[in-house]
Amino acid sequence: MRHFVIVGILIVVITVLAYVGLDSAGLMPLAASSQAGPIDWLWNLEVITISFLFALIVAPMAYSLIVFRRKKGDTTDAEHIEGNTNLEITWTVVPLFMVMVFAYLGAGNLAEIRRVDPAAMVVRVTGFQWAWRFEYPTNGVTSDELHVPEGQQILLQMTSNDVLHSFWVPEFRVKQDLVPGRITELRFTPTVIGSYAVRCAEICGTAHAYMESPVIVSSQADFDAWMAEQVELAEQQAATPEGRGQALVAANGCAACHSINGAAGIGPTWLGLFGRTETLTDGSTVVVDEDYMHESIEAPQAKIVAGFENQLMPAYNFTDEQIADIIAYIKTLR
Amino acid sequence: MTTHIQEKKSQLGQGILIFIYLAVLTGLEFFIAVYFNSVILLVVVALVKAVLVLYYYMHVYKLNQDSEDSDESSYEYKTGTNRLGLWLFLISDSFVFAGLMVMRINLLGLTRPHLDQVLGLGVTALLLVSSFFMNRGETMMHNGDRKGFLNNTLITFLLGLGFLIGVVFVEWPNAIHEGVTPSGGPQGAAFFMMTGMHAFHVFTGLILLAIVWVNGRKGLYDQKNYPVEAAAVYWHFVDVVWIFFYPALYLIGALTSVV
Amino acid sequence: MRRANSVWSALLLLLLGGAIGYGIGLGIDMLVSGTLNFSGSVAAAFALLIGVSAFFFGLYGYRGITRGLVWQVVGTLLGGLLITGIRAAMGLDTFGVFLFSEPAWVVGALVGVVSFIFGVGAVSDWMKWARGIDTPEHHEDEPGWQKYFGVSYDHKVIGIQYTVTALVLISVGGLFALIFRTELAASQLQFLTNTFKLFNQNGPQIYNSLMSLHGMIMIVSILLGISGMMNYAVPLLLGAQDMAFPRMNAFAYWVAVPAAVLLLMSLVLGGFDTGWTGYPPLSARAPVGIQMFFLGVFTAGWSSILGSLNIIATVVRLRAKGMHAMRMPIFVWASVATSIIALTATQLIGLSFQLVMFQRLFGMGFFDPAKGGNPILFQHLFWFYSHPAVYVFILPGLGVISELLPVFVRKPLFGYRWVAMSSLGIALVGFLVWAHHMFTSGMNEYLRVPFMYSTLLVAVPTGVKFFSWVATIWGGKIETPTPMLFVLGAILVFLMGGLSGPPHATVSVDLHLHDTYFVVGHFHDTIFGGFVFPFFAALYYWFPKATGRRMNEFWGKVHFWMMTPSFFVLTFGMMFVGLSGMRRRIVDYDPALGFDLSHLIMTISGYLIGLSVLIFIINFFHSIKHGEVAEGNLWNSRSPEWQVPSPMPAHNYAVPFEVVGEPYDYGLVGSKYVEFMPAGTGEGVKHVPAPAGAHGSKH
Ligand code: HEA
Ligand code: HEA
Ligand code: CUA
Ligand SMILES: [Cu+2]
Repeated sequence: MRHFVIVGILIVVITVLAYVGLDSAGLMPLAASSQAGPIDWLWNLEVITISFLFALIVAPMAYSLIVFRRKKGDTTDAEHIEGNTNLEITWTVVPLFMVMVFAYLGAGNLAEIRRVDPAAMVVRVTGFQWAWRFEYPTNGVTSDELHVPEGQQILLQMTSNDVLHSFWVPEFRVKQDLVPGRITELRFTPTVIGSYAVRCAEICGTAHAYMESPVIVSSQADFDAWMAEQVELAEQQAATPEGRGQALVAANGCAACHSINGAAGIGPTWLGLFGRTETLTDGSTVVVDEDYMHESIEAPQAKIVAGFENQLMPAYNFTDEQIADIIAYIKTLR
Repeated sequence: MTTHIQEKKSQLGQGILIFIYLAVLTGLEFFIAVYFNSVILLVVVALVKAVLVLYYYMHVYKLNQDSEDSDESSYEYKTGTNRLGLWLFLISDSFVFAGLMVMRINLLGLTRPHLDQVLGLGVTALLLVSSFFMNRGETMMHNGDRKGFLNNTLITFLLGLGFLIGVVFVEWPNAIHEGVTPSGGPQGAAFFMMTGMHAFHVFTGLILLAIVWVNGRKGLYDQKNYPVEAAAVYWHFVDVVWIFFYPALYLIGALTSVV
Repeated sequence: MRRANSVWSALLLLLLGGAIGYGIGLGIDMLVSGTLNFSGSVAAAFALLIGVSAFFFGLYGYRGITRGLVWQVVGTLLGGLLITGIRAAMGLDTFGVFLFSEPAWVVGALVGVVSFIFGVGAVSDWMKWARGIDTPEHHEDEPGWQKYFGVSYDHKVIGIQYTVTALVLISVGGLFALIFRTELAASQLQFLTNTFKLFNQNGPQIYNSLMSLHGMIMIVSILLGISGMMNYAVPLLLGAQDMAFPRMNAFAYWVAVPAAVLLLMSLVLGGFDTGWTGYPPLSARAPVGIQMFFLGVFTAGWSSILGSLNIIATVVRLRAKGMHAMRMPIFVWASVATSIIALTATQLIGLSFQLVMFQRLFGMGFFDPAKGGNPILFQHLFWFYSHPAVYVFILPGLGVISELLPVFVRKPLFGYRWVAMSSLGIALVGFLVWAHHMFTSGMNEYLRVPFMYSTLLVAVPTGVKFFSWVATIWGGKIETPTPMLFVLGAILVFLMGGLSGPPHATVSVDLHLHDTYFVVGHFHDTIFGGFVFPFFAALYYWFPKATGRRMNEFWGKVHFWMMTPSFFVLTFGMMFVGLSGMRRRIVDYDPALGFDLSHLIMTISGYLIGLSVLIFIINFFHSIKHGEVAEGNLWNSRSPEWQVPSPMPAHNYAVPFEVVGEPYDYGLVGSKYVEFMPAGTGEGVKHVPAPAGAHGSKH
């Protein structure tokens, strides 16, 4: 009997210690969406349960190891206890009940975080190797950053141009894959103003680690101001070839591989690209002119600059005018 | 003595009876497909056919027969073990085909590829008849009739070869002609993958038949004839797979225009 | 003395062969592509293949495994050349950066695997049977260590072959982990940079290849490791002379060797960047390395399928007299449960990889949305195997825990029936939960909640095991030699892993956890607790049975006390950074996240684990020759194999035994589990020629 009392106390102590320890470690990042609340609540419940179950197993084990250790010189066996059906039934039925409760809570939790607000703001998201594009259909704006107003439910309608990607902002908790050929949806309601990052969570090739874009949650007023600015910018850009080119570059994530400041990247930098003499993989050299650039955008593998053999730039289906616009933009980078 | 002969006769007679059932069901299946296009009925018919083959041709109940001899090194005991091993292998293999079926259902749903249904019925008939002769051959070997075994196995082999040629050299070009190509879309992909995997199994089955035929001719199986049974069971298994694949590819669902 | 000689000459030949292969490859590459590529794939492939073959030549001569490897190399080249010739005749492209085109590599690799099997001699008996020639049931093996390098039909030899191969693969996979962990020790790219070049890959690509291969090589090593334990122990525990199908047993082992070679080839031939899961569309675009990966897994899968078929047949047919189901040792129950999964589900990973392979080769659009395919279908097929597979990994390990605990606490296993049935329960429920890996995948929404329920159900039979173990320990007279330490460590570690499972299962929480290091922490815990620790326990425990000597206790304890705390630090760290936002499968992380210190600590822990494994390996090989002699019932166990002297003779028990009691009745005075029949009665050991059955020749 004494043994059981001590172990009982141990279980309580270990549970509390484990829970307090885990809780104070600050495991979860900042909760910045209204979906984070229910998720963190369920997670916390799970941490409590885990602490308890851990203690339930570890306490009697550790106690036995110390108290029931074989004494020196004792060569006899222990008491012959084969089992106890009532106990077995108990520890089958009680966990069964527990997991069913968790499943029930989990289903409710899931329903809660997926609650639909009919007035949600729609943003179309496209993922591709290795960048994000965000379109605001009502305003006709396209951006490589996600700006959203605080307190408003956002409905992301997402797809991919190439392989699987996954939209994840750790502070918002929820996550959803982007699948080529179909549209997947994700809803969240940002609640804390600040700047975060969407980080691609599904491996998508060489630069998967760098497939990140800023996510900016601002007040409704700031958001509207940003949107107005974007609309104006889009109009301005549409007027000149360089401007259109710049918009295309931004919308297609070229910057993920090509820097515009001379920094080394996955692809050659664009700074001073026009007119530069490049050495190709077969040893020949070319002077970068409009024809060469056109070819390189249309058929990236045709001529590869030495040092970039393994980077398979995807083929974008740009029209000739679009390519001309992009070249016009690159020419401005010197 | 006479009862023994009668028993042999009745075994062969049973084979014929089962074959008639199977043939009628296959015709019925075709009829259902053409006139009712009822998926449920087609599934039921296929299941009935499969059960008939499993029980009467593949003798699945033999698994449960305890060999009277519990001496683990006796031929009877080892045969029981071999039998179990073969069935385990077939269970494992059927997961591949089940997976292919899932793929077909997922990609095509209630549509079917643009294929010649009559041609499909033709090759199906070849395989079905081959199963019948296989059963005869096996039964005869079991009864010590080596000559009968050799003849029937040879017929089985030729029919199987006919099936293989029919699928690979008639069906496939025909499908391609109809616009169902491997790289053209889900229908071609599913069709070529499923028939290809099945044809591969038919091919291995033919090799086994050839082996037991050659060894049987040498008189190797006059007493210990489990290898004959094994080859036969494998052959019937390939037939069972086709019992499901045939309706899945040729009968179930509506035609869609080829993309 | 001969042995020492041959090890040194083998190492020398490894270097020499590697150098020659490198030179040949460089030359061929030069001829084909016109440039000298010192870090290229072709040179490395030749160096790898010729070096390894030369190594075994030095060790063992031109027979057995050496001949297999040589044939594999030749077969691969011939197959590749054949297809290249056909392609040339058809006017298609022929040679490229990887020497052959992709179809040529695929066919070459297949021909290579088949050639290996013929070369090593794993099918020579079947070939004879097919020609109607009888072969004797048993072959006498060579004496000494040499029998391990050629085909043997003895389940004990095969068990040890499996085990040692598994250890080799764990070392290779672990080494890969240590390499990529070194890169992760700090944010930014340190040595796997964009300008780094190896095997036609740059730094991040090499990271992805190493990470993916770490996963799959480790998984293959687990499959081999459990096969090793099951092969060695199950016939002994059953009182059988051997497995039901000794030739198929040998075959199953020997196909795993070319599979391992293919996995390594995949790294060399451009690697692949998909993770071990190989999801399309990414895997449909990866370099040709992924085809070698697919073929390697496919081949290893056959090993697993045939091995488990054999286990089931053995357990059903070859039990000792009196051993009815409820008197079988728990390890046997666990092996059956594992084998049921491996026998059936494995086909689905093979199929899923085969479909991607065909999509690449023939443009069949199974998973290509542009051709009406469905990428999510792949995930269903893949996880239909790969979830149940995780229970394949652990069930034998949990069986080892249940098997060894009673021996070291001197008390019966608490609730034998419940523990036995819980293995089957886990295996069966395990078939119904696969989509819990796909909560964020975009699959049909209505599937999420049912899969949450089914997933959580697995906790119940697993819990039964835990509570029964605790009750077994409670009130026992506990001893803690090395095997018992690893058993206790296994329980603790697996508890951590298991308890981190249900949070993933609740969908909403998994939306946060999915594809983070929390998952990585979860499965390292479950895998170490369910496989690695019990595997070490089993090795320390049965080592004396196999060799007649025991492993060094002191170094065994060092191994344990070094590995366990480091391991806890490693996985706690993983879970910690995972929750705070660390994604999986990334070569670099944002320094702003502040994970640098945690990662540094994890890397150091990883090194310490590696060091402890190294200590184990040295102890293992040293003790074979120099360990303390232990020929009797070292652990004072009731199990039949310990009632006869070690090492076990070639055909196991000279006299058969009969089961007369319960397996774990420790503490019941006068009880016995087995009784050896007096010589002369019973069936005895007979040597009857095998029937000319061709039961296996269809594979
Ligand atoms: C050996 C392997 C192993 C084992 C045993 C398990 C066991 C379990 N796993 Fe794990 N899992 C993996 C290996 C394993 N897993 C791997 C490799 C992955 C990642 C794959 C990849 O993407 O690469 C993964 C991923 C994974 C996911 C997907 C995560 C994601 O990617 O989003 C999920 C989701 O449900 C999950 C759940 C579980 C559950 C519920 C169990 C349960 O079986 C655990 C049951 C045990 C216990 C619960 C503890 C003991 C029980 C008690 C003490 C009783 C009382 C308990 C309760 C009442 C809760 N696992
Ligand atoms: C058996 C299974 C197993 C084992 C034992 C391990 C062991 C280890 N694992 Fe692994 N791991 C996986 C299975 C396993 N892992 C899987 C399935 C994945 C998922 C892959 C994916 O995402 O696709 C993964 C992924 C994975 C990641 C995530 C990578 C990423 O997402 O980017 C990390 C990161 O830290 C990691 C680390 C480690 C470490 C440090 C060890 C250490 O324990 C290793 C210790 C070292 C050794 C055991 C080697 C010791 C031997 C020697 C030193 C001798 C060498 C000598 C010669 C070769 C001659 N593993
Ligand atoms: Cu996109 Cu990872
Ligand atoms: Cu799982």
